[in-house]
Amino acid sequence: MTAASLGPIEIEVIRNGLTAAAAEMDVTVWRTSRSTIVRELLDYSTAVFDAEGRNLAQSARIPSHLNSMTHALRTLLAEYVPPEAWNEGDVVIFNDPYCGGQHLPDILAFRAVFHEGRRIAFVGTLCHHIDVGGLAAGSYAAKATEIFQEGLRIPPVKLIEAGKRNDAVWAMIRQNIRKPDLLLGDLNSQLASLEVGLAAVLRLARRFGAAAMIEAGERILAMSEAGMRAAIAAMPDGIYEFQDFLDDDGIALGQPIRLHVRLTIAGDEAVVDLSGCSPQAAGPVNATLASSSAAVMFALMCCAEPGLHMSAGCYRPIRVIAPEGLVVNARHPAPVAHRIAVGHRLLNAMMGALHQVVPQKVPAAYYGNSYVTTFQTVAENGAREVLVEIEIGGSGAHPSKDGVNAYASGMHNNSNIPVEMIEAQLPLTVTRYALRDGSGGAGQFRGGLGLVREWRVDSPRCFFTANMDRFDRAPYGLAGGGEAARGALVLRRDGVETPVPPKTDNLPLVKGDVVRLETSGGGGFGPAAQRAPEAAARDRRLGYV
Amino acid sequence: MSETRPVRIAVDIGGTFTDLQILDARQGQVVAWKTPTTPADPSEGLFRGVQDAAARFGFALADVGLLLHGTTIATNAVLERKLARGVLLTTAGFEDVLEITRHVRRDIYGLAPDPFPCLIERDLRIGVPERIRADGSVEIPLGDLAPVIARLKAAAPEAVAIGLLHAYANPAHERALRDAVAAALPGVPVSLSSEVSPEIREYERLSTTVLNALLMPVVQRYLQRLEARLGEGGFHPRIFLVQSNGGMCSLRRAAEQPARLLLSGPSGGALAAERLSRRLERPNLVAVDMGGTSFDVSVVQDHRIGLVTQGEVDRLPVRLPMVEMRTIGAGGGSIASVDASGRLTAGPRSAGARPGPVCYGRGGEEPTVTDAHAVLGRFDPDFFLGGAMRLDMDAARAAVRARIGDRLGLSVEQAAEGILRVTNAQLAAAVRLSLFEKGLDPRDFALLSFGGAGGLHATDVADELGIAEVVFPREPGTLSAYGILFSDLVQDLARSRLFPADPAHAEEIAASLAALKAEALERLAEDGVPESRRAVELAADLRYRGQAFELLVPWPEAPDLPALLARFHAAHRARFSYAAEGEPVEIVTLRASAIGRFDKPDETPPAPPEAPPAPAPRRVWDGTAEAEWPVWRRETLRAADRVAGPAIIEEAFATHVIGRGWTAALHPDGAIIARRTA
Repeated sequence: MTAASLGPIEIEVIRNGLTAAAAEMDVTVWRTSRSTIVRELLDYSTAVFDAEGRNLAQSARIPSHLNSMTHALRTLLAEYVPPEAWNEGDVVIFNDPYCGGQHLPDILAFRAVFHEGRRIAFVGTLCHHIDVGGLAAGSYAAKATEIFQEGLRIPPVKLIEAGKRNDAVWAMIRQNIRKPDLLLGDLNSQLASLEVGLAAVLRLARRFGAAAMIEAGERILAMSEAGMRAAIAAMPDGIYEFQDFLDDDGIALGQPIRLHVRLTIAGDEAVVDLSGCSPQAAGPVNATLASSSAAVMFALMCCAEPGLHMSAGCYRPIRVIAPEGLVVNARHPAPVAHRIAVGHRLLNAMMGALHQVVPQKVPAAYYGNSYVTTFQTVAENGAREVLVEIEIGGSGAHPSKDGVNAYASGMHNNSNIPVEMIEAQLPLTVTRYALRDGSGGAGQFRGGLGLVREWRVDSPRCFFTANMDRFDRAPYGLAGGGEAARGALVLRRDGVETPVPPKTDNLPLVKGDVVRLETSGGGGFGPAAQRAPEAAARDRRLGYV
Repeated sequence: MSETRPVRIAVDIGGTFTDLQILDARQGQVVAWKTPTTPADPSEGLFRGVQDAAARFGFALADVGLLLHGTTIATNAVLERKLARGVLLTTAGFEDVLEITRHVRRDIYGLAPDPFPCLIERDLRIGVPERIRADGSVEIPLGDLAPVIARLKAAAPEAVAIGLLHAYANPAHERALRDAVAAALPGVPVSLSSEVSPEIREYERLSTTVLNALLMPVVQRYLQRLEARLGEGGFHPRIFLVQSNGGMCSLRRAAEQPARLLLSGPSGGALAAERLSRRLERPNLVAVDMGGTSFDVSVVQDHRIGLVTQGEVDRLPVRLPMVEMRTIGAGGGSIASVDASGRLTAGPRSAGARPGPVCYGRGGEEPTVTDAHAVLGRFDPDFFLGGAMRLDMDAARAAVRARIGDRLGLSVEQAAEGILRVTNAQLAAAVRLSLFEKGLDPRDFALLSFGGAGGLHATDVADELGIAEVVFPREPGTLSAYGILFSDLVQDLARSRLFPADPAHAEEIAASLAALKAEALERLAEDGVPESRRAVELAADLRYRGQAFELLVPWPEAPDLPALLARFHAAHRARFSYAAEGEPVEIVTLRASAIGRFDKPDETPPAPPEAPPAPAPRRVWDGTAEAEWPVWRRETLRAADRVAGPAIIEEAFATHVIGRGWTAALHPDGAIIARRTA
């Protein structure tokens, strides 16, 4: 088939085929990966790109990954491995945030697809690996002050060259990480996934031909672009500003970090100027442009009409201005392990600006946090067990309905760990797991409730690590709606309660200690006075307020 | 089980039709019958169908020994929220677990999410002072129940669910609570999590228990109506209901554990696929059931259908064994449309049974997949559903032209072809993914196509997948009932307890297993299964330590632990491409299936006709131009006949397209088998 004979039917068949390719790649990672973080927290994403590195189709995984991969691959092609340097059978990997990545645990792997002697596509996977070395197990040190402390940095290298493993690279990685079997196992699953994606794209290419595949890619991008432009064109022109804050970076305590957005809507284009954000932080609460752009793009893509095909075409009418040296575009060698905190808050800020643009669509702030807690229990004989939990909070109230209690929102999307599983495996007891009364912002529509979770230490000793935010700056309400409750982290020992700092490394605990986390709900929407009496009565009956 | 009366009837009650398959041991023939479903009281349509079939096929109602009954009554009650008003009693401090759910979102770009459904609101979830630990020991004994019972009585519930933490390890507190509830509220049905789904993971167990409790009054009412019809005209069969695991259960068991019926809808089709795989000697079949709204894929590998330990209904998890199935929203009624960016899509929106496709002439205005087939001339407008419905071809053409063709600059035929190509690509992707996630290759499989719309797409989908053989079974519109006809009584029991799968725990594991097996045999005795027909199959859910999900592994050598580990490593390698033989393995759940085998009388395929078939030509649209395809009537085909594609094979409730390059022939068993020949 020639490119010229491609009709809308063929385009849709190819688009479906590329989406199915991303889904098959997704299943392959799930099927073949080794670590819990990839397999059970599903912390990975897969995607198909055109020959220039632009995303054509995505798996339904993690928003913060998916819309960063185009940036990563385009940077790779422009600055490190130019298109003509890719040969059949090459796989390039890297994790360096300063080469287009996000943070060190995320290893990206790309492979080019050739057909009829030309490059027609790339396939790519991104996996969050369990550990890449550095100061702390899991490569998530809360107190790192430069990236060299955060783990092994892999610049763009050919892990596989013309089908042959580059043994020196494998050996170099193995020597620098804590769980080599798990990491290399997961890396192998990324390679298997690329193989599957390649086969799926080639199935289409054999049917339609190289020229048609390239043309179809352009048309898919154009289709997404048209959908995104239509969404922006429907927004009133103007300049909209909003800001929100992270409490601090865990090093300079009490120094808020500003995420400021200046959104300009002009015709069918949007410019997002992040120049008003704080300078980069000393601690690991920094993001590279790959992370920040993902939050900006995600916010605008959420405001498009349902059914829009999500691809790099959506990014075309959007320009991001983010001077280097800011918290949203950190300069080497700033630490970036907790880049997700910046992503959450930047998304909160973007939504606050978009509320002024499309007030009928945008909800109040969600909790805006990945509440990461780690318990390292130590038995009498010194045996150690580790529990890593990521809690969530409530979603923001929508202009037409209440927020959802306990709902994974925004930049991440994770599940919880069953209480019974924890207790069957670790010397810990969960003594309470509940919705947190009154934590949703008041309003005509109420914000979703956050959570309360309590852990009791049953081992002689335990080390507790936490990284969270929104203890000082609450999730905002909109249109007169109230803000949600701030978070709280409390240690109860011998009947006495004391607050625990939200960014804590290795706090020693003893048997019988209870740690209680209270997470934020979502902000409210509209004045509380306008809440329907029956809705208010229901809140009281159910004890939500 | 043995049954001296000669007639066995399987009934599958769907939304529109009640399907019957009848086996009369005197002739050995299986016949099919269809009658409209009576939604207000489905037992009415069921009984009418049986009466009509008796008259039509010449058996007496008193001859019916077994009635095997598939029903969506439980599923529909959940979907329509026609459930009892219930109270949940749970461990104090954990009353909100039911509402917190597992909280992963599916639409990652949505800004206005709906909460996950929660069937019992917060004020009807009552905390009970008590705490059991993971090893079954009691940390906090059951406290003063007076305040709990007072709140419970004030709530005046129609059903009570009891689900306490770690009750799978020690049900004592749940049982004591049941006694207290029974004393306070005599006659109110009570469900215990330790009986309904005694498995680790509190949210999934609670969700299943709550569904069960709220369904008890609903299903019990239906069963009473059903039983009230017995006796009429000497109709007094033993009745069994189809469960989600593909096995039957007694009415008593169904009344106690209605949650086991929740996902039974597709299990008949899967059972049929399993039986056909043996009769046709095709060990590997991928079965696709395409009806009006959905496309269900199940996989038969080495003659066995796959089971999974959990499913869901309306986003509510049901932690009970069920037939493994992938469902996508693509069927004959799927609506085709062109969106703002000029994209042609088909489904998942469906015109359903009402208004249905435009060509049905019931007020449908949006073109559907069925309308696309109509435009291309795949149907005889006067012989649709055996002549029961006249198709409005002009309306179908007008809708496809106006809403698809004109908007994309295509002729009406090109637009219709486009709808089908887009649909086929989706169907093929779903099949590929179902095989793929198990590490299987489509080329090793034959495609079994059934459901009203399956035959129209089968050879095209097979082409996309590289599958070289397509099976069109007899009576594709009532195939689920056929599967039910040859099923067994199956009761699944489970016991969760985290055991390291090592020699040090072998004794403990063996003891647990023995208790489970004894319980299974006891259940079979309760159901009156004679000893010669009892069987117990054992299995275990295992994982490598540190994993958070398990693999279900059959354990015929139980309690031989090394044999189980060998099976686990092999299964893990097949499904996940690696095995970690040096790493510690945990048993999370032990399982027993108590099986009571029904007779499997042999069926005699119908005798083929003697006269040669006379295919009639029909004008159809074939890719780029009008063409004439031969149309064969299925019932006229003989063993020696060869149907070379492109061609159409018609029967009363289905139309099959034999694609170009395919040749179809009648198998002695009555199925049509098409092979890729060019």
